[in-house]
Amino acid sequence: MTMTLWYLGRGFGVSALVLLSMVVALGMAVRAGRPLPGLSRSAQQTLHRVLSLTAVQVVLLHVLTLWADPYAQLRAVDAVVPFAGRLHPIGLGLGTVALELVVALVVSSLLRRRIGLRLWRAIHWLAYLFWPLSVLHALGTGTDRGAPWFQWTVAACGALVGAALTWRIAHRQDGTTPPRPAPPRELAGLR
Amino acid sequence: MITELPEPAVHRPGSPCRPRLLATLDADYVEHTARLGPLPVLGPRDLVDLAASSGLTGRGGAAFPTGRKLASLLTARRTVVIGNAAEGEPASSKDELLLRRAPHLVLDGLLLAAQALGGQEIYLYGPSAVLASSVRRAVAEREDARFVRLVAAPDAFVSGQDTAVVQAVQGRPALPRTNPPATYVSGVRGLPTLVQNVETAAHLALIARYGAYWFRQAGTDEEPGTRLHTVSGAVRHPGVYELPGGASLDDAVAAAGGPAEALQALLVGGYHGGWVPWDPITRALPLSRSALRDYDAAPGAGVVIALPARRCGLRAGADVAAYLAGQNAGQCGPCRYGLPSAAAVLERLAEGRAGPRVRTELDRLLRMVDGRGACSHPSGTVRLIRSTLRTFHGEVDRHLAGHCSAAPVPGEVRR
Repeated sequence: MTMTLWYLGRGFGVSALVLLSMVVALGMAVRAGRPLPGLSRSAQQTLHRVLSLTAVQVVLLHVLTLWADPYAQLRAVDAVVPFAGRLHPIGLGLGTVALELVVALVVSSLLRRRIGLRLWRAIHWLAYLFWPLSVLHALGTGTDRGAPWFQWTVAACGALVGAALTWRIAHRQDGTTPPRPAPPRELAGLR
Repeated sequence: MITELPEPAVHRPGSPCRPRLLATLDADYVEHTARLGPLPVLGPRDLVDLAASSGLTGRGGAAFPTGRKLASLLTARRTVVIGNAAEGEPASSKDELLLRRAPHLVLDGLLLAAQALGGQEIYLYGPSAVLASSVRRAVAEREDARFVRLVAAPDAFVSGQDTAVVQAVQGRPALPRTNPPATYVSGVRGLPTLVQNVETAAHLALIARYGAYWFRQAGTDEEPGTRLHTVSGAVRHPGVYELPGGASLDDAVAAAGGPAEALQALLVGGYHGGWVPWDPITRALPLSRSALRDYDAAPGAGVVIALPARRCGLRAGADVAAYLAGQNAGQCGPCRYGLPSAAAVLERLAEGRAGPRVRTELDRLLRMVDGRGACSHPSGTVRLIRSTLRTFHGEVDRHLAGHCSAAPVPGEVRR
């Protein structure tokens, strides 16, 4: 039983990292000046939303399973106060900060209509900070950080996010809006 | 002093009534006051009671009860009043007509509201050309309008949404904001702000003079008073016409000289409205919210466009959808990415290039967009596309089979 929780917690951690890399990559790509080949913007946006909500659940599972696991020696306070952990305080702390960011992102998205677009967007920008935090957290505390498969996974995640960033910068929105269709002549009223 | 009180016509459904808003066209200030009498001074409660008992609703499209909107500003110590004449809707011209030919009626309504509600600032927001000509002239003619500030509205579909109006008045880009907070709770610099369509303001100016009972002598219980309609498309004399509330679709087309050729449908309520088929039964439907609900249409801002029988309804719907998709403000994802995708699918269908699963595909896209975003633009566009598919469902089947029942127009159905 105890080993099950330990394995599960590690597995959820790696899964969360992979999912979050995809979320961040999609989020960057959708804001580029040109849609990804073969995937319309609305599809990208839907995927971004579905994957991010899935990733949040996996992150929660990651935290809960390791909290329940006796070996990891996590206390409730470690989920809230960063850098106070017993094992790998720095790496664990980065994870705590990332978790708090996730909570902020989800809550602010749910309250988007109440808090206004500007504040929501400011908070959502923090999502960019979230990805490097979770990578450092994985490399800092991960039990499997020495294993080649783990390193390859992290490298692949890095490559994915790097590619999205390149695409975003290469196809920057140049501020010129595409030509807007005129209203159809026969339905344009008295004009 | 009142030399010519507009005589209310006893309303029978479909009967013409004497114009009210359009009775004093092109009058300068002297003539305006001579014919209508001086503008009365009303206390806040009197104004709210009058507006509420008249049953006047907002004429910008949303049909919000004016009495309720004014009542929500009663508790505010300082307010801002804005007259909104930004018709982003290409097929609507009634607000511009009012500013061009009856600006004093509009100014009356705004001054009345500002005076009663402690309005510290008064703005008139509309197309720059008409502000610079007739409105500027009208403001110069009267002492009480000195403090009315004129703000030019950009020619964009969403620039007339009330939250966009509040932004524009503060010198920012005229883009919609999320609602809540409603503008009458927090608008210009956080002050409670009355954003009032100029036709609504003009009605208020007459109701203040002649009373709520007079107002209700035209129209029906559900749609009291008169309403300006911009009737265009395949009618003999496209133009702006004043009709009693609850007038039928037939009345609207007849007011514009009748059909110019055989018709197949009317687009009622504008580009965010719905199609109503033109047949002996539906053409007798009144222009009221309850009668048009089944068609997802409403009188809205009074737009009626007649589609001739020789035109393809899908082509017309796809063109309007493409226009609306291009008018998204680029602020919210569902609108910015969803509308162009949906419009592109409808375009494919109109061109006869869509596969059999197109209905499912469109439905999935529309459900993702409907009800989301900061303003009503995505939902309104979804309504138009759904109405197009429903009204011209036979045409959808024909297009899927590679035909089009409309007269061949070169390049229309490519197959």
